[in-house]
Amino acid sequence: MSGCKRIGLAFTAFILMASLLTGCWNRRELNAISVVLAMGIDWVDEQYQLTVQVSDPSQMSINRSGERSPAIIFSERAPTIFEALRKITTKASRRMYLSHMRIVIINEKIAERGLRNPLDFLFRDHEVRPDFFMAVAKGCDAKDILAFVTPMEVLPAIDLYKSLKVSESSWAPTSAVNVVDMMQKVTKDGIEPVLTGITLIGNRNKGMKIDNVKQPKAYAEYKYTGIGVLLDDRIVGWLGESDSKGYSYVSNNVRSTVGHVRCPNGRDNFVVEIYKSHAEIIPSIKDGKPHVKVKMKSDANIGEYHCSADLGDEKVFSQMQQVAREEQRTTLEHSIRHVQRKYGADIYGFGEAFHRKYPRQWNKWKKQWPEIFKNDLQVEVVITTELHKTGKILNTIHKQP
Amino acid sequence: MKEDGFSPLLHANIERMKLMLGYSSDFIVRELILPGNKKTAIFYLDGMVDKKELQDSVISALLDRTPEEPVTLQELKDHVLDAGEVCVTRTLEAALEQLFSGSLFIMMDGVVDGLSIALPGWNDRAITESKTQSVVRGPQDSFTETLRTNTTLVRRRIKDTRIRIVSLKVGKMTKTDVAVMYMDTLADEKQVRRLIGRLQACKQDRVLEGEYLEEFLHEKKQLTIFPTMYNTDRPDTIAAGIMEGKIAIFVDGTPFVMLTPALFVDFIQSAEDYYQRPFYSNLIRLLRYVALAICLLAPSVYIALTTFHQDMLPTQLLLSLATQREGVPLPAFIEAMLMEGTFEILREAGIRMPRTIGQAVSIVGTIVIGQAAVEASIVSAAMVIIVSITAISSFVIPAYAMSIPIRIIRFAFMVLSASFGVYGLTIGIIVLVVHLCHLRSAGIPYLSPSAPFHASQQNDAIFRMPYWKSTKGQTKQGRSS
Repeated sequence: MSGCKRIGLAFTAFILMASLLTGCWNRRELNAISVVLAMGIDWVDEQYQLTVQVSDPSQMSINRSGERSPAIIFSERAPTIFEALRKITTKASRRMYLSHMRIVIINEKIAERGLRNPLDFLFRDHEVRPDFFMAVAKGCDAKDILAFVTPMEVLPAIDLYKSLKVSESSWAPTSAVNVVDMMQKVTKDGIEPVLTGITLIGNRNKGMKIDNVKQPKAYAEYKYTGIGVLLDDRIVGWLGESDSKGYSYVSNNVRSTVGHVRCPNGRDNFVVEIYKSHAEIIPSIKDGKPHVKVKMKSDANIGEYHCSADLGDEKVFSQMQQVAREEQRTTLEHSIRHVQRKYGADIYGFGEAFHRKYPRQWNKWKKQWPEIFKNDLQVEVVITTELHKTGKILNTIHKQP
Repeated sequence: MKEDGFSPLLHANIERMKLMLGYSSDFIVRELILPGNKKTAIFYLDGMVDKKELQDSVISALLDRTPEEPVTLQELKDHVLDAGEVCVTRTLEAALEQLFSGSLFIMMDGVVDGLSIALPGWNDRAITESKTQSVVRGPQDSFTETLRTNTTLVRRRIKDTRIRIVSLKVGKMTKTDVAVMYMDTLADEKQVRRLIGRLQACKQDRVLEGEYLEEFLHEKKQLTIFPTMYNTDRPDTIAAGIMEGKIAIFVDGTPFVMLTPALFVDFIQSAEDYYQRPFYSNLIRLLRYVALAICLLAPSVYIALTTFHQDMLPTQLLLSLATQREGVPLPAFIEAMLMEGTFEILREAGIRMPRTIGQAVSIVGTIVIGQAAVEASIVSAAMVIIVSITAISSFVIPAYAMSIPIRIIRFAFMVLSASFGVYGLTIGIIVLVVHLCHLRSAGIPYLSPSAPFHASQQNDAIFRMPYWKSTKGQTKQGRSS
C-alpha cells in the first residue's frame, strides 16, 4: 500500500471521527454576540420581566466618546424566562451570550413566590456557567438596580459583582451567595439557603442618568443589606446587621471583619478586627432532644480603642479579651435564637450536622425538622476568641505619656 | 579505460585535451623546452592554481634542475619538483579530474604518463563569525565553502586517533567532494556503512549543497516536514556531535555541515547552552520550549478562544477583546491568516532583499502593516500582538531547520481551530505528537530520550546537568532503543 493512500485513509478517518464527536459548540465571532454581565428577574403583572445588562463594546475602549452609555439594558416580559430571553432578540442586534453573567438579581416578589422556576432555566441552559452571585432586590425592582449608573466601575454589573466580593471578605454581614451553593442548600436536607439583599438609596430617577456620576456624591447608590432567610426556596424574612454577622460566623463565611465591643466600664467602645475565624458545629443528643454546641475560635487584633484602662497591663488585656468573647457569644446566640424562634429556617445547617453524626435519629426527625429546630433544639455557644495585637500604638492618644 | 591512456606524442595529447575541454579560454597549456631538449607541457585551469607557486616551485625548478640526460617521471617527482602533493596520473579522465580540483598536469614528450601536482590557488572566503547561530560566549569561528578548511576546523578540536574521514565524490556533473567524519568505536558502524553506501549510490547530477544529499539519506518511506538531519555552520557543534557518536557529512562548496542522527531535542539546543552555567542554560532552554509552544499555538488558541470558547476567558479580558474586535469586518480566522501571511511575506522579503534596503522594509513592515492596519480597523490590536509574539518566538528556536515546520504546522492548526475550536486543536496536537513518535532519524526514535524514555540519558535532553554530574562522559550513544 502506498504512503499516499495510507495518509488519505487516515485523513478520511480523522474527518469522519471529527464530525461524529462534536459536542455543544458553535462558532461565533466576538462582534456577533452581546456579553450579558448581569440579569434581573422581576415578577410583574403575573409574568416574568427579564432584564439583561450587556456591555457596549465600543464604549469600553480607552478612547471612548463618553456620549453613549457603556452598558445597555434590554427588558422583556414573558410567562417564562427562556421566552423572555429570546424575545429580547427582537430588540437587540446581537445574540445574548450568557456565559459571563456575574450576578443575577431577583426582586422580592420572585423570592416570595419561590426560586425553583427561575433557577431551572439558569441551570438547564448549556451556556450559563453556574458561578454567578445572586442577590434579592429590596424595595425596588431588579430592573432599577441594573439600569442605574454606578460610580466606580464603568460597567454596573462589574461594580455590583466586585462590591459583593469585597464586602463579603472584609465585612461579615453580607454574604456572597454563589448559585451552586444556593442550589445545593435548596436540595439538601437540614440546611436552608440565604440570599443577600441589595437596595437602592437616594434619588432613584436621577440615578438612572449618566449625571449620577458627574459629581463626587452620586444621586443614587446601591447597597448590600443584610441576609435574607429562605425556607425551602422562598424568602421568609431578613436578618439585621448583627444577626447577619452571627450567621456569617457560624457558617464560616468570615474572612475578616470588624465589630465594636463595649468597654468593661460600660461607657466607651473598642473595636476588634477579626482576621481568622473558624466555627465548629458539634451535635449531640441529650435526653432524646437535639443539642448543638457551636464552638467558635477566632483570632483578632484591637483595631480601635477608646477605653480608659491601660492596655499595657496584662490583666486589662485579658479582660478586654473576655469582654470581646462575651460580645461575640451574645451576637451568635441572639442570631441563632432569633432565626429559630421567628423563621424556623435552619440556615446554619444544624440539621445537616445531625444527619452526619446520627443518621438513624435524623431519619426520624427529618420530617418535622423545622418544628424541632424551632422549639426543641438547644444551642450552646462556646467562644475562644484570642486578642493578639494592639496595632501601632497601645493606649488612646491622650493617655500616652 | 584503455582508450583513456595517453599517447607517447606530446603534441597529440595536447590536441586531445584541448578538444576534450572544447578549447575553453581558461584552459592554459604552457609548453617548455627543458634542458636536454625535452619537450614538456604544463596544463592547468586559469584561476584554479596558485600562479606564484607554479612559477617558483614548478617552472623554475623544471628549467633549472632538470638534468641533461633523459629522466623518468619518478625522478622528476623525487628530485626536481618542489611541490608537496605530486602523483603519477595514467589516464585522461584522472588527469581531468585533478585539473578540475585545482591541480596542474605535466606531460613530457615520449612518456605515456603524466604528473599531477596539487597547487590549488582559488580565492577562499575567510573564516568568519557564524551568521546563522551566533553565541555570546563560545567559539566565534564558522565553516567556509572549502571542504578541507571545514574538516580541519573540526579535526583541530578533537585530537583523537579515532577520528575517521572518508572522502568520496558525488554528482555526475559537479563531482562534489563529500567527506564523512565520525569517531571510530563511538559511531554506529552499521549506520556509517549504510550512509556511505547511500552516498555512493546517489545518482544526482549535481550536488551544490548538503540538502541535495539529505533528501537521499532520509529513512525510507518516511514522509515528514520535520528535519531528520541537523545542519550547522558551527564547528564546535559538529565536534560535539561527533564526540557523541554522530556522523558528520561535509559537502564541498557549502559552509553547512550535516549531522546525523538528529533528534527533536537537538534542534532546541544551542551551542551556547554548553558555554554558560547550567542554571542559566536550563532556564533558557525552558524558555525556548515556551517560545516553541507560543510559535506553534498562539494564533490558533486565540482563534479558538475568541470564536468558540468565549466562556473560557476571564470576563474582563473578554470585554477587552470584544472592544478591540468592534468594527473589525473580518472573522478572527481571516484576520489571523491575513496578518500571519503578511508577516511571512515580510520575513521572506527580509531574507531575500539586498541588505541596503533592509531598513525600508522594516519601516514598511512595522508602521504600515501594524499600525495602519489597526487604525483602519482592518485587524484588531490584539491580533497584532498575537502575530508579533508568534513571530518573535519563531526566532527563538535556535535551528532554522526546526522553525520552518513549526511555522507551517501553525497554519494547519489555525485552520483546525477555526473550524473545530479547541477540540480541533487538540486533535491536531495529538496527530502531531503521534507523527513525531513515529519518526526516526538514522534508526533512532525522534523524540528519544523522552519517548521512549531513557532515564540514563536525561543529563542532556531537555535539561543539561552540570558537567560534574554526567558520569558517562559526553556520550549520548546509547540513545538507540
